[in-house]
Amino acid sequence: MKLWSTLLLSFSVISGVLAAKPPQDTFQKYQSLSRSGPVDLDNAAFEELTNAPRDYYAAVILTAMDVRYGCAMCREFEPEWNLIAKSWNKGNKPDDLKVVFGTLDFDQGKTVFQKLLLQTAPVILLFPPTVGPFAKLESEPARFDFTGPMSADQLYSWINRHLPDGPKPPLVRPVNYMRIVSAITILMGAVTLFTVLSPYVVPIVQNRNLWAAVSLIAILLFTSGQMFNHIRKVPYMTGDGNGGISYFAGGFQNQFGLETQIVAAIYAVLSFATIALALKVPRMEDVKGQQVAVLIWAGVLFGTYSFLLSVFKTKNGGYPFYLPPF
Amino acid sequence: MAQSSSLDVLLKGSSGQSTRGLLRIIILITIAAAAVASRLFSVIRFESIIHEFDPWFNFRATKYLVQNGFYSFWDWFDDRTWHPLGRVTGGTLYPGLMVTSGVIYHILRFLTIPVDIRNVCVLLAPGFSGLTALAMYLLTCEMSKSPSAGLLAAAFMGIVPGYISRSVAGSYDNEAIAIFLLVFTFFLWIKAVKNGSIMWGALTALFYGYMVSAWGGYVFITNLIPLHVFVLLCMGRYSSRVYISYTTWYALGTLGSMQIPFVGFLPIRNSDHMSALGVFGLIQLGLLRTLSAGVIAPWSGRFYSLWDTGYAKIHIPIIASVSEHQPTAWPAFFFDLNFLIWLFPAGVFMCFQNLKDEHVFVIIYAVLASYFAGVMVRLMLTLTPIVCVAAALAVSSILDSFLVLTKPNPESQTKTTSEDSKSLRSTQKPVVGIYSYFSKAVVTGSITVYLLLFVAHCTWVTSNAYSSPSVVLASRMPDGSQFIIDDYREAYYWLRQNTPDNAKIMSWWDYGYQIGGMADRPTLVDNNTWNNTHIATVGKAMSSREEVSYPILRQHDVDYVLVVFGGLLGYSGDDLNKFLWMVRIAEGIWPDEVKERDFFTARGEYRVDDEATPTMRNSLMYKMSYYNFQSLFPAGQAVDRVRGTRAPTESPQLNTLEEAFTSENWIIRIYKVKDLDNFDRDHNNAVAFDKGLKRKRASKKKGPRVLRTE
Repeated sequence: MKLWSTLLLSFSVISGVLAAKPPQDTFQKYQSLSRSGPVDLDNAAFEELTNAPRDYYAAVILTAMDVRYGCAMCREFEPEWNLIAKSWNKGNKPDDLKVVFGTLDFDQGKTVFQKLLLQTAPVILLFPPTVGPFAKLESEPARFDFTGPMSADQLYSWINRHLPDGPKPPLVRPVNYMRIVSAITILMGAVTLFTVLSPYVVPIVQNRNLWAAVSLIAILLFTSGQMFNHIRKVPYMTGDGNGGISYFAGGFQNQFGLETQIVAAIYAVLSFATIALALKVPRMEDVKGQQVAVLIWAGVLFGTYSFLLSVFKTKNGGYPFYLPPF
Repeated sequence: MAQSSSLDVLLKGSSGQSTRGLLRIIILITIAAAAVASRLFSVIRFESIIHEFDPWFNFRATKYLVQNGFYSFWDWFDDRTWHPLGRVTGGTLYPGLMVTSGVIYHILRFLTIPVDIRNVCVLLAPGFSGLTALAMYLLTCEMSKSPSAGLLAAAFMGIVPGYISRSVAGSYDNEAIAIFLLVFTFFLWIKAVKNGSIMWGALTALFYGYMVSAWGGYVFITNLIPLHVFVLLCMGRYSSRVYISYTTWYALGTLGSMQIPFVGFLPIRNSDHMSALGVFGLIQLGLLRTLSAGVIAPWSGRFYSLWDTGYAKIHIPIIASVSEHQPTAWPAFFFDLNFLIWLFPAGVFMCFQNLKDEHVFVIIYAVLASYFAGVMVRLMLTLTPIVCVAAALAVSSILDSFLVLTKPNPESQTKTTSEDSKSLRSTQKPVVGIYSYFSKAVVTGSITVYLLLFVAHCTWVTSNAYSSPSVVLASRMPDGSQFIIDDYREAYYWLRQNTPDNAKIMSWWDYGYQIGGMADRPTLVDNNTWNNTHIATVGKAMSSREEVSYPILRQHDVDYVLVVFGGLLGYSGDDLNKFLWMVRIAEGIWPDEVKERDFFTARGEYRVDDEATPTMRNSLMYKMSYYNFQSLFPAGQAVDRVRGTRAPTESPQLNTLEEAFTSENWIIRIYKVKDLDNFDRDHNNAVAFDKGLKRKRASKKKGPRVLRTE
């Protein structure tokens, strides 16, 4: 026991000695704090870390993680930032190249945000060293603004450009064992399930109606612009300014999520009416019933197509054609 | 009665057969004629002129082929594009189009018809669209017993805007012949699968080879046919017919496609083609394909962006910047296909009725092509043929049951209900027929209305949207008369007449082919976007300050810089609207020197007026666009009509360039790059001196002295 306390004591003495050399000390301090990921900073720590005589690079993300601020990009990017810090801290790097990665959340660092006149988050600042072999003349930090969603690779290449040339640890994405295990489990489960249930499943898989339904739904989704929604991330719907809902986006090149669903439904009704007229009606044996069915389906076809034309006319103002009811 | 009996003579028996055959031929010829005629709007309105951008390159290459012969075309090294790199044109293009029109030209010459190569090129696309309609008839006839389906499909294909968009007269592009080849190859393939004959398989391979020589979209066939075979195998439909036709096609087709220098060894090294090889292996050995990674190159970027839709935006801005690579919004589908778009699912559903091998093909094609068309606007073109097939199946199936004069007799129906679980639920009962004339009249009447509406729609769309050459623009004056804007040709002819033969012109890559074709001057970059760095260089020169741009211009021997500016007329496709893409592409190569963020104001707006960011105002593109623009207006009232804002009140000052030419409506502005100053001053000082400004000496005293290291 006594041995331990003396050891601890001697360590504290050593650290006290080191405190005399400020830059070395700050780096050591934050390096040990960080373990593998980035250091969580507050106002004071940020000031200390970025104080003028420093012989290390300091890369700090200024972010706003709390749900209140509604910064989706901050939360999205957080694991990526941790990944960068982790890859750097664990990887092989030149001995004299020192980089500290830090995270300053808005809740802990309001004054820093005010001091730097930051209006947006996240922002990444990279402070170059002021002393040591890689010292830069201007001590202003390099600033990285987010213009859209970012991957760790893009940011890491930006950081690398600002660091001196030489070997650097590669960005390592950890293997997601959980995912592999769960995927294998699910796969095996599926195979087992299939073998057990095959007498019941095979007829379904070979069922023509099922395949017909699947391919028709796929075609309807694709031709009504679902891929556009997926790629452009359009809003589902918006208000029209008077408290109501506007179902159709103005303009030929725009659309809303709800709008495409309406259009897909219109196409589905029209197709179904066509199928009914072409395949079902000629197979009806009842004379009266057939007459009624023909009239109903032809009416549905006409009315819906007329509605479709009117919708298209709202999208494309100069379109000259229409059918009577709408 | 006499009339009906005379009709009977014509329509029944063996003479009826030949009458129907004759009628069919007449109808098909009429359809082909209509297909050609509906594509001539642009020739009638403007003149026989090559359209847009890429066709100008194809035209130039065709002229080269006709003048210098096939072998020198094959080895053509073009030193007038991509200056100073040049381009091995013969090995980096799809020669099918040029060779086709060259052959047509020589045949016409041989027949002593004095025709100009330009007219052959202009009218090639309409001519081939007539052939496409015929190929469509053949393809659809393989799908359905009803002959009316084929005729309807041919008529749809002839006038549907989705195909017209790429094949109006003057749009001399690869797609002009490629769609015919696509449809015809598929017809031959279906024939081959049906008959299991080597001859049809070899013919498929032959036309596949022609397709490979004509268009990069051949990859679609390369993947669709193996997929068809794969699905047939999965359905347990392996047969010697499938085996024979597929192996014949694959072996001959791959060999054939490797004859094109541009394609070369891609078919055995690129993943785009691996499914074909895999299915080939599968069909040979019944083994699962094993892909050896490493030897096989990953997906080519353009193809990859089809599967991972976020890929292009992040990694390849140059692909994302092209407007025809954007995803398709639903109005575009309706605009291009009209009522076929809702007949399409119905027609696909009907393919499930019999579900023979060829119907499986239609279904796979339909699902795949609609996915592709949803991801990329330009792939609407590959969707259109199958939409026409499916819609024709649907319409003909309705018309066949409703256009029958005889009434069914309810008593004579035998009550047989087939208990075949494999058929569709809606078609399990036997066909009875339609009883009342009223129903027949209602349905045929409404279908006729839809068809007429379709014709009107197609004509309207073709006339309004797809017939503009985009080299010559037309607009309406307030009094309704037509106003022709011919600035492009004016400027290109100015270059042709007033600049030395080898003056290098720098412009954004969109205009490279046109400058090469119309002005006949060397360009730095053009629409063949294979060298991203070179394009980024031009982007950097455009988006940097003059001090940065001038050395770039000098290093690349640039004599003139050409920009497109729509601010006076409200022409929205101008360079300032494309400017962000130049910035993005340049940023991809020089992220420290060009930053997209700097072109937006602090509030994130893209502004061009007096509140534009300094980076924006100092960029070469901005200066060239607005140089002297405010002098057209009374003081302080200059308006930019494209961006709907005020133009800068003061003209930007250009030091290293001088204005050489501005077209009538200011759409094209050409600047001459100044030579080095005679007195060895930098251009900044020279201009200041010419203006009579006193030389600033005070600036030298500022700051500490620094050692000059140069």
